[in-house]
Amino acid sequence: MKIGVLVLEGPYQHQAADSAYHFVKAALGRGHQISGIFLYTDGVNNANGYIKPPGERNVAARFSELAAQGIPVIACTACARFRGFRPDMLAQNVQLGGLGALADYLREADRFVTFGD
Amino acid sequence: MEVREEEMANTIAVLMRKAPYGSVYTAEGFRSMMGIGVFELNIRVLFVDDGVYALVKGQNPAALDMKPLGDGFPTLSEFGVTQFYVHDRSLSERGLAPKDLVMDVQVVDDAGAARILESCGIVLPF
Repeated sequence: MKIGVLVLEGPYQHQAADSAYHFVKAALGRGHQISGIFLYTDGVNNANGYIKPPGERNVAARFSELAAQGIPVIACTACARFRGFRPDMLAQNVQLGGLGALADYLREADRFVTFGD
Repeated sequence: MEVREEEMANTIAVLMRKAPYGSVYTAEGFRSMMGIGVFELNIRVLFVDDGVYALVKGQNPAALDMKPLGDGFPTLSEFGVTQFYVHDRSLSERGLAPKDLVMDVQVVDDAGAARILESCGIVLPF
């Protein structure tokens, strides 16, 4: 099954980004495909490559890890601008993109799962 | 009515749940529809709970240094978004009626709201 994922919350404040990561790992483990992960609104902050949490899980590194496996991980360009997010801050393998990417994931997915407040 | 699976997959319910100015959700729900509506996805917008406030006439958030959101929704038809539904009990519990809204919408009861969600392959909650 092809699954699309939308993340509406940033790292650490809420569970949503962690849940999205664990959901994707579990889905891949069951042999499902992920059509893409779209980081929207505060979700773009999960793509900040400068995240360095001492002694804690690195949420940005997790999305990098998924992107390195060939899963498209796209952070909303406009949301990034609203949050002072510069392209050179992006975590490895994560890209900026527009809502067209979200539309693609919506269209391709057999199931679509949103993580947010 | 049976809905074919293929039609369902491309039918998206955008669920507007929150008051318009306390969080970014209403504004981004609106923007997302502008963004994805042009890609010929079949979108049904359902306003429930505090989400119904997004459609109330005469919003003036100037004191918050924000722009009014309500007037934008009727313009979504330019982006292919034309199916608007409002949950009746969410309106009445807030002392609102369809005449208080910025546009004509279909008012639905609990069962009607459930049918809309059931008819869509994807639900985007804002």
